[in-house]
Amino acid sequence: MIAPALNMKRRDPVLIGLWISLALVALVWLTPVVFITFTALKSEAEIFSTAAFSVPSAIEWSNFGVAWIKGNFSQTFFNSTVITLVKVPLGLLISAMAAYALAQIKLGWNKALLLFVLFGAMLPFQVMLAPLFNLVNSLDLIDTYPGVILPYLAFGVPYQVFILHSFFRAVPKELTEAALIDGATHFTIFRRIFLPVSLPVLAALLILDFVSTWNEFAMALVLLQDKNMWTLPLGLMSFQGQFSSNYGELNAAIVMTVLPATLVYLIFQRYFVSGLTSGAVKG
Amino acid sequence: MKATTLLKGSAAALLLCGTSLSAEELTIWTINYTSDRQVSALTAAEAEFEALMPGVDVEIVMRGTDEHKTALRVAAGSDTGPDIYAYWAGLGLGGEYVQAGLSTDLSPYYESYGWSDRLTAPSQAFSESFAEGKHGIPFRFSGEAVYYNKELFAKAGIESEPQTYEELKEAAVALKAAGIPAFTFGGTVNWHVMRLMDVILETTCGVDKHDALMAMELDWATEPCALEAFTEMKWWTDDHFLKPFMGIDNRQSTTLWFANRAAMMLEGDWHVPTIDENADMENFGLFPFPTGTGRLYGFAEYMYVSTKSDQADLAAKFLDMFTSDEFQTAHLGAFGALSVNKNVKQGDDALALHREWLEVFAQAEGTFVNGDQAFPLDVTTEYFRVINELASGDLEPQAAADAMAGFISNH
Amino acid sequence: MTLISRFRSPRTQGILLLTPALGVYAMFAIWPMIDVLILSFQDWNGITENREWVGLRNYYHILYNDPVFWVAFKNTFIWTVLSVVIPPLLGLGLALGLNQKLILRAPLRAIYYLPVIIAPIAVATMWRWMYDPFFGLFAQLLADLGLSSWAVDWLGDRDVALYSIFVAYVWQNVGFSMVLFLAGLQSVDSSLIDAAHIDGANRRQVFKNVTLPALRPTITIVLVLSTISSLKAFDIIYGMTGGGPAQSTQMLALWAFTQSMEIFDYGRGSAVSVVLLLLTLAVVIPYMRWSQKQESDAQ
Repeated sequence: MIAPALNMKRRDPVLIGLWISLALVALVWLTPVVFITFTALKSEAEIFSTAAFSVPSAIEWSNFGVAWIKGNFSQTFFNSTVITLVKVPLGLLISAMAAYALAQIKLGWNKALLLFVLFGAMLPFQVMLAPLFNLVNSLDLIDTYPGVILPYLAFGVPYQVFILHSFFRAVPKELTEAALIDGATHFTIFRRIFLPVSLPVLAALLILDFVSTWNEFAMALVLLQDKNMWTLPLGLMSFQGQFSSNYGELNAAIVMTVLPATLVYLIFQRYFVSGLTSGAVKG
Repeated sequence: MKATTLLKGSAAALLLCGTSLSAEELTIWTINYTSDRQVSALTAAEAEFEALMPGVDVEIVMRGTDEHKTALRVAAGSDTGPDIYAYWAGLGLGGEYVQAGLSTDLSPYYESYGWSDRLTAPSQAFSESFAEGKHGIPFRFSGEAVYYNKELFAKAGIESEPQTYEELKEAAVALKAAGIPAFTFGGTVNWHVMRLMDVILETTCGVDKHDALMAMELDWATEPCALEAFTEMKWWTDDHFLKPFMGIDNRQSTTLWFANRAAMMLEGDWHVPTIDENADMENFGLFPFPTGTGRLYGFAEYMYVSTKSDQADLAAKFLDMFTSDEFQTAHLGAFGALSVNKNVKQGDDALALHREWLEVFAQAEGTFVNGDQAFPLDVTTEYFRVINELASGDLEPQAAADAMAGFISNH
Repeated sequence: MTLISRFRSPRTQGILLLTPALGVYAMFAIWPMIDVLILSFQDWNGITENREWVGLRNYYHILYNDPVFWVAFKNTFIWTVLSVVIPPLLGLGLALGLNQKLILRAPLRAIYYLPVIIAPIAVATMWRWMYDPFFGLFAQLLADLGLSSWAVDWLGDRDVALYSIFVAYVWQNVGFSMVLFLAGLQSVDSSLIDAAHIDGANRRQVFKNVTLPALRPTITIVLVLSTISSLKAFDIIYGMTGGGPAQSTQMLALWAFTQSMEIFDYGRGSAVSVVLLLLTLAVVIPYMRWSQKQESDAQ
């Protein structure tokens, strides 16, 4: 009680120094974003003639329009949206179901199953790109939405089950047992009791999963060969390969790719932090 | 045997003409060409063939280079896929598919349609290289040569186009003295810098040894001309490239070339429209890299008929239309300076540099292909690595030659 | 037992709830892992019908005849060491600073965390352009300062390229460590800190004797997560150099991909994958044991 009051009174020089250095580093942290945004808004001539951080004199909105068309953004945007909108809720649902079963129903091998699932959270899926490709190809699902959504689900399950499990486990078993005695099935208990109480965790996971699904690149690179099926990250990569020498448009393409996730982050900031930390640190 | 297939082929073709009511689909996969003219030529082919064969629905799917490669791989492992696919004709690319039995032998069609007489010799050279029979039909042959900036050459006091390799080196020295780097290349796309290595190998080794090296029949480590080629390559990369070059790509190097930052580029005939769109063509000239062998540096792109297609006859008919005098004349210059069809020639209204190209083609005594077309894929990857290591000064010429030899012997 | 009563058995219900997640997980995550192991003993180019068993030949090739494998191995090692040390240290520093009651603390946290949510491939594209040797940010800044001679071909010079990529990686990942540490700091008992201050302990003593011990579990978690994510490094390298120049920034994950999906030698690519998988397991298994033990201790 005393210490904070003291801090308030005499301005601690260490804290002031700390604040200044944190702010300066934050400025450095922002430079790439500022540089990219400014370049995206400049005409080609201005990029070559003016300094990196000079504010664009005349805003060249056409960079965005041209990049949108050249990069086939309407298609990639659509694909990313469809994949994310299907994958994220579906993934959370099946993860929550599994987490509930593992936490609340005695199956005899709950612990082993949990370990089995947890194991997957640690594995780099990057090593399995080739067999994954073969598997999806053998199912004739290359260049289809299910072909990329199914692997996304598979690699999203472990982390979500792990976090939801630690949350569900904290709910007293007596609650479930009482409901069972009243004649409820596990499905009802899951739907009526557990889903509602876990809404904050689900919201956090939803936001996190939205960003990671939206940003995923390596699996999409292998599983989506048809450019009409590409997601935003693939479109951006191809855009860089094809139009690397038109800097204004390239940067406009970067801004357009990054913007949706940034907006989601700025709006739902609170959930991000709680989502990241609830599992990793407290669990 | 041949006669019967021929008979069957033409009978089927006739039959197809007759039964035009049932909708048939012909799927064609090609790469996504940057030039609008090429894209519109392909689109026109689609429309023309549909007009010619009512009831047939042609679908041309265009993809980026790497996507096209992978898409074909995907198709090879499954039952889906195109009837016709376009691919580069070299061993590591189209050749691999031919050897794997994924390309239909087109010899009956070559005979029935008389393609052998219609196509230019350099363009059809690859059809018999990798398996029995004739595989694929060329739709494009591209040559690569040195483009130079006349203004910069004049500034360095160079009065005529170099005729020999020594003269080219003298020109490079003169350019350097005038503060101008001789060449600009983009290192991130490995095949760009590789081009110089390819032509130097042709220069130091001559025809037979160069071919033997690329066929992996000669030992790179002990063959003196290979070492000499790496030594020459180092001479260029050490002092006569616009630097830095490893961190930029071919498009960026082109931008720098148009900005007069370097005098020369080693580019294909597809570079002519690019110059036309970005600069004053008057200021640029071209000459074949003076290898001394007279062979032209270049490669062919083919259309192959997939063995998984059950419409080989229809596909052949399409290919026949595509390479016909009429179609090729209508889309002259769309696929490069030279048509694969002998009877089709660019007129006087052609772009100035295209006309120069025609002369280069006319004077060529045979051709040799890019390294990444000649080698299998893994050797190509190693070839890129060795060249890049040499170019960035981390590998001495002898070590480079040894590295190639070592990799090939374990291949 | 009738169908309905069977349906009412908790066990059946549990299995029904588990099946979708476990099924998709087993099929699309576990099976490919087994398949990669199988493929690593086979020769296959993706075209032929049959995969041919070749025993250990792929392993022999990558270990003895592949000029790139050991480069990739070394780079993966360097990268892992760097990413286990640098982003967590910076993240800890930022977290300690931002845990103080400062003005604008929330926006500052947001700024540091922002790069984490940007797609790695977009980070790669951004930085690739900033590193452009002719018109990029660094080239321009050096030119403005009259230091053009200091300019380096950031992504084209093999001695520098890996570290240039790493700088971009740090920029993106520090915020992640920071957030984990900030959460860990919430578990530090503030009354302990106040008590220590009253007892006359200085900041360093408080940090060493109170904060650090309380952060120990967080530190372990951050280090393990950093190790795992560094072994996975793929997008950012693919996007910035593709492993070049001359394969000098090649890493195991990317080299496995290149062998399988670009050279179409599935056997060799899978052998590289298996090596990386074993390295990952060497970190993951001890960690899982540790966390199991933590848990049973807590109970």
